[in-house]
Amino acid sequence: MKTVEPAAAAPSGRDQSRPAARTRSPRPPRRNRDWVHGLLMSAPALTGLIAFVGVPFVYAVVLSFYNVRLGSPLAPTFFGLEQYRRLFTDPDMSGPFLRALLNNLTFAVVVVPVQTGLALALAILLNRKLKAIGVFRSLFFLPVVFPMALVAVIWRLILARSGDGLLNSALHVVSFGNWGAFDWLGDGFTAMASIIVLSIWQGVGFQMVILLAGLQQIPGELYEAAELDRASRWQQFRHVTLPGIRGTLVFVVMLTSLLSFRVFDQVYVLVKGGGLDEEATRTVMYQAVTTAFDQNNIGQASAITVVFFLIVVALTLIQRRAVRTGNED
Amino acid sequence: MNIGSGTSRRTACTALALVLPLAALAACGGGGTTDTSAEQGSGTGTITVWAHQGVKAESTALQNAVKSFNSSQKKVKAKLTLIPDADYTKTITATDASKLPDVMEFDGPTMANFVYNKKLAAIDDYVSSATMANATDAIKAEGEIGGKHYGLGMYDSGLGVYGNKKLLDAAGVKYPKGLSDDWTAAEFTDAVKKLAAKDSDGKSLDLQEANGYASEWGTYGFAPVVWSAGGSLLKNGKAEGVLDAPAVASAMKTFQSWKTYTDPNTDGNAFTKGRVALSWVGHWMYPAYSKALGSDLVVLPLPDFGNGPKTGQGSWAWGIGAGSKNGKAAGAFLDSLLNDTNVTAMTTANGAPPGTRSVLAKSDLYKQGGPLQLFADQLAKPCGDSDITKSCVAVTRPLTAGYPTITAKFGEALASIYGGADPKSALEKATRAIDQDFSDNAGYKIP
Amino acid sequence: MTRTPLRRFLDYAVLSVLAFIFVLPVLYLILGSFKPSDQVLNGLTGFLPTHLSLANYTAVLDSFNSDATGYFWRFMGVSLLLATVVVLGGMIVNSMAAYGLARLRWKGQRAVFALVLLLMLVPFEAVAVPLFYMFNDQRNTIYIQAVPFIANAFSIYQFATFFRAIPPSIEEAARIDGAGPWRTFFAIIVPMSRPVFASVAILTFLTQWGSFLWPVLMVSDPSVRPLPLEISVFQGQMPVDWGQVLAFGVLLVLPVLIVFAFFQRWFVQGVASSAVKG
Repeated sequence: MKTVEPAAAAPSGRDQSRPAARTRSPRPPRRNRDWVHGLLMSAPALTGLIAFVGVPFVYAVVLSFYNVRLGSPLAPTFFGLEQYRRLFTDPDMSGPFLRALLNNLTFAVVVVPVQTGLALALAILLNRKLKAIGVFRSLFFLPVVFPMALVAVIWRLILARSGDGLLNSALHVVSFGNWGAFDWLGDGFTAMASIIVLSIWQGVGFQMVILLAGLQQIPGELYEAAELDRASRWQQFRHVTLPGIRGTLVFVVMLTSLLSFRVFDQVYVLVKGGGLDEEATRTVMYQAVTTAFDQNNIGQASAITVVFFLIVVALTLIQRRAVRTGNED
Repeated sequence: MNIGSGTSRRTACTALALVLPLAALAACGGGGTTDTSAEQGSGTGTITVWAHQGVKAESTALQNAVKSFNSSQKKVKAKLTLIPDADYTKTITATDASKLPDVMEFDGPTMANFVYNKKLAAIDDYVSSATMANATDAIKAEGEIGGKHYGLGMYDSGLGVYGNKKLLDAAGVKYPKGLSDDWTAAEFTDAVKKLAAKDSDGKSLDLQEANGYASEWGTYGFAPVVWSAGGSLLKNGKAEGVLDAPAVASAMKTFQSWKTYTDPNTDGNAFTKGRVALSWVGHWMYPAYSKALGSDLVVLPLPDFGNGPKTGQGSWAWGIGAGSKNGKAAGAFLDSLLNDTNVTAMTTANGAPPGTRSVLAKSDLYKQGGPLQLFADQLAKPCGDSDITKSCVAVTRPLTAGYPTITAKFGEALASIYGGADPKSALEKATRAIDQDFSDNAGYKIP
Repeated sequence: MTRTPLRRFLDYAVLSVLAFIFVLPVLYLILGSFKPSDQVLNGLTGFLPTHLSLANYTAVLDSFNSDATGYFWRFMGVSLLLATVVVLGGMIVNSMAAYGLARLRWKGQRAVFALVLLLMLVPFEAVAVPLFYMFNDQRNTIYIQAVPFIANAFSIYQFATFFRAIPPSIEEAARIDGAGPWRTFFAIIVPMSRPVFASVAILTFLTQWGSFLWPVLMVSDPSVRPLPLEISVFQGQMPVDWGQVLAFGVLLVLPVLIVFAFFQRWFVQGVASSAVKG
């Protein structure tokens, strides 16, 4: 089994291919040509990736060893590991950075399961053969279409801390005047929760659509057979549904995890213009961008992104290993 | 490293950048020109002009000014580009000096940074002496570095506390009539509390929270608290000792205590709709406030925290790009922009104190006895950016190339103090960050 | 699984309630865009269809009506052009790469694919500044806003995941018929991969449409500026006119909604006729 393959949706298909391949004869000449074709097919994308991602990232790593300022006439001075040292030991820089890491972790740990779970629940609900499924699906998908910055603006109005804010006045009415204005964004406790809620709101529709497609591929006969076996709905879910969408589920979880590492837009918009508690919600990408563009400190920002990249790689490898061992059950 | 000029240099730079990032940075980064004086040029032709797009009335007034310049003479044609306000400074920072326009607007406090990055040229040779002499002292001081001028503003700024006379009188609050009987911080806090007691939601003060303290508003609006407490954002290239002074921390604590009485004012209408009696904001709200309150509007100075009343100064200004090849034409445009008609139109549109003596003298708003006389009085006592005595009032934000860091860190501290953090440690954090940044950059000395 | 009428009703009810809660913020956006600013932020009455007018929309369009400010429809056009180029280019280039790396078997395939996955983890913010230094000479062009984003490691990953799930028997059949990898890919694999193409297209379009950081760094000329940047104009007003901000938001999202509606049908068809069953 190749180490870098993601869990496929139909492992059974691949296993069947092995015996089939062995019984066929004219293989060798094609394999040689495959090399050329493979390279040719992937060449444009590879060139693009190397030129626009690979090389710049190496450049960023180099920059992280220097003290570089955006647009400064001073020549960059060699800093060695100073940027990294500061990042981890200087109380003023490591504090925010480590807090940002913690915030990212909190965000991921909450959003990935909750958003996926919610998406799965919605997908299951929609999988009933109801009329107007398209309408419902579109409604749940609607927030996905909004750029995150716009989502942040809308929620800023909803969560405004005055009594006129939508949420506050709704609570006021529902509680017959007992609950008044609350500072959702500014309060350290609810700030991250607010970010989480609006991020889930924006993202769950996309996952739901993918999971729904996965669900619709499970043959109905499997469910009928399970019913004949007098399996309860929960058992059907565990033994028919979950295995059936395993691949899709894994894909969706990986996608959400990856995106949760990059949280930036909503935090930036709401801190700058919505009174969001910066300490409780700063994410690593937020730190990197503000360091680079609000303080013009390119060297420090590069160090932040390099460290973060290494952490994300480590986490992804761990995640893959966990998925693989799960696969081999 | 001197690779030549123009396109060949640029191709070499791109190639270099792809191969040897840092060598490229050293050779090609920073300014495209080696000195900060624009070429004189012929005085004719097309010139490019950049400005920020924010308040609609200002953009309209500016576009009219450009139109009238173009139609009034045939030698120079000005082509205007407007860039969204929030990204404007970032855009200039990201643009190489050789690609900057002939004439460009910039936010006053960012000037030193642009001079340091060789993006602005001295304007003394290109702007007529009449224009220069007509600029107010405060405007000239804002635009001067090392004896040369790099910018002139059409308007200055005024900051104070607007009050609703009806509500103030109803609560029996005594308020100052001018700078001489300014209220102390304690009196101000008392007034806020008294007004809040009579207010239906207990919030009697507006601090323009919705603009975000982590933005330039935070620094502009509340550095006067620091100055009035005897401190400063920077002194002799260091924030230590002046930003984290005990008096400043205690002043910030008072500021923090106002939050309970402050209306979040997300919709911006707290003062005009009478939800609050006091509004701590600048001249730009005057048009809306006077329309809503009429004769019930009073303009009061900011509270005195011990070192005398202090207020902000400075706003957008105009300069000549360092890469300009037509300094003479750019200067002619600036002369036209700063003439009485345009300055009057602009300041009527945004309610700002005019930046030229002739218009200031004629101004209905800012003359003695006019509604905004306070702002004029404040600007008539400028402190400059470093010598903040008890008697001067209008303080210019620090004229240093490291200003972006100062405003970022101060705004951050302000926002966290407002959110409940301990003022002393928040200020100390900001101080350390600012000093660290300055030492990394050799004090941002302008060569 | 038969569902009694009561069950059906419950299903509809639950779904409707959920959908309604979900859609509330969108309703707020749309309603608010037709209201003056002080009615938008007026508690629950922000939801009542009162004080409706097109004033905000006229104001928004009016803010962009000269050479100096740029023209609204031009911003929109630039955004559409950039998104189309990135999406179409990406679909071709990335799907080919995914097939070449994940399906064809050759030496070095594993290593290269691993490299692609590694690059997928590099966030754009990390390379934004180096890219800015590298390409600063080509600012204010359309191509510099599009080309760096055509090759996309995440798209390759999505395609690869999907292609891997296609039974090899299909390719075996093609080979028996004498088709080489290219023909197999274009004539057979692509038509049966509608769902992933639709999914990648939507995701890429949405990402590109909302792209903000790169244009801010590279573009000052209004004639090649994309639309999202202009929201800053409304956020710079003092005080902010929320009605106009929301109107801008609606205009910003409208084309995306239309594009999505179009792709959704494709997506649905693809799923319904999908040959990719286990």
